[in-house]
Amino acid sequence: MIRVENLSAFYGKAQALRDVSLHVDEGETIAIVGANGAGKSTLLDSIMGLVRNTGSITMDGQDITGRKPADMVRMGIGYAPERFNLFPHMTVRDNLLVGAYTARDEIEKNMAAVHRLFPRLAEREGQETSTQSGGERQMVSLGRALMTNPRVLLVDEPTIGLAPKVCVEIAEVLKRLSAERGLTVIVTEQNTNFALSLASRLYVLEGGHVTAEGTADELSKDDQLAKSYFGA
Amino acid sequence: MMQIIVQGLLLSGLYALIAMGFMLIFSIGRTLNLAYGAYIMVGGYMYFWLSQQLGMPQVIGFLGAVSVGALIGLLKHRLIVKPLKGDAVAVEIATLILALITQFALVLIFGDASKILLPLIPGVVTVAGAQVTYNILAATVMSWIIILALYAFVRGTHTGRAMQAVSMDEKGAAISGIDPDRINMITWGISGALGAAGGVFFASYTQLSPQMWLAPVIISVAIVIVGGIGSIIGTLIVAHIIGFLEITVVAVLAPELRGVLTMVLIIGVLIMRPQGLFGREEH
Repeated sequence: MIRVENLSAFYGKAQALRDVSLHVDEGETIAIVGANGAGKSTLLDSIMGLVRNTGSITMDGQDITGRKPADMVRMGIGYAPERFNLFPHMTVRDNLLVGAYTARDEIEKNMAAVHRLFPRLAEREGQETSTQSGGERQMVSLGRALMTNPRVLLVDEPTIGLAPKVCVEIAEVLKRLSAERGLTVIVTEQNTNFALSLASRLYVLEGGHVTAEGTADELSKDDQLAKSYFGA
Repeated sequence: MMQIIVQGLLLSGLYALIAMGFMLIFSIGRTLNLAYGAYIMVGGYMYFWLSQQLGMPQVIGFLGAVSVGALIGLLKHRLIVKPLKGDAVAVEIATLILALITQFALVLIFGDASKILLPLIPGVVTVAGAQVTYNILAATVMSWIIILALYAFVRGTHTGRAMQAVSMDEKGAAISGIDPDRINMITWGISGALGAAGGVFFASYTQLSPQMWLAPVIISVAIVIVGGIGSIIGTLIVAHIIGFLEITVVAVLAPELRGVLTMVLIIGVLIMRPQGLFGREEH
């Protein structure tokens, strides 16, 4: 469904990604694991068209390299970034409505679906997001991405700084989205156990470069990787 | 006393309209648009040219002025702001130069002498014992209608919500499917239209001259600094504080002190509450 080939990304003259290639099939969930600064967020930002990059990104065989973020959203890519990037002085409901900017015909349906996934957002829809907890903001961020009516969901480090209970809740939602709606998911994580609980395949990103890829079983056969990422 | 209240209300409505377009650009485009006065000048002169020199109906003169203001706003965004994106100082210098060029162009076309705009509606009415011209009354009513329409647009439409979103988090807006460049361009167009509309009313309140752009820009800067960025309600309230302050100073103290207390207010707010009375801390 999405194929990334030889992707390199730059902040000014600094290169943040080097020749990254990966693919994700329709309905599949993959995880990108790596340490801080490995380039995980840059990779998702690049797919989304937020960072200058070279290489090739295709979706359903169509070249979408270099398109603007707004075009990516229209193509069906939703994004929940690591720092949420919510609108702090808007209510939860207005944040979600902004997500519906390109999917105005399906606002009620999508809003109801978001409320089913996150009942807390329905209870607090009049609350400004600047006054919410990290877990609630993560829910709004995911909800806003879902309001764009995506076929592919990019989720950047959804568990960072969150309580274990909230992490479980987020994992359950991502599993439901994949199972019930057939959503394709690319999730980045430092928490390898969380990634393993969701993804069929993993890519290991180090220093802006993919150093390993495969299923959990395949990757755990590599002693060094197992020690670094799987707690062996 | 009643005279002060009525005059204060009238002047404040006009100030609110003038400051609204400036506040939009400052909040959403994050640009101190010193050329905002150019819209005001062009609006006043365009109305003068269409309705008084060409003899067209006043409505056509007003709509023509607003349309040209919007067009200048759009062009300014396309030709100056977008290419200089990210360099706030360069944008401020370029917009200031543009205001001066506009001033020189208007002197070449219309001459240096001040001109009197004929009243939008001639006549005088007594309101609560105070003598008020229909002209300023109409200007105030129109200001309020425009401000309420702007409020409804920003709060109640997808484009208005997108404008708020871009002002709060550009990346968040982009990943929601909003094109921030397009929203910025729309904002510059609306700002130009508001400035031109304010120019027509301001010129009919005072007079038309190539120097008329400076005072409204100072008023706008004052209102936005004291009110804080991003709040239509805040802009409205502070426009009334400053409007009433000026009217009271003129009536009670001395006309020469008209702007002095406003400047003291700006300095006080900058020291005590830099984000403005109704502005919020940036996250």
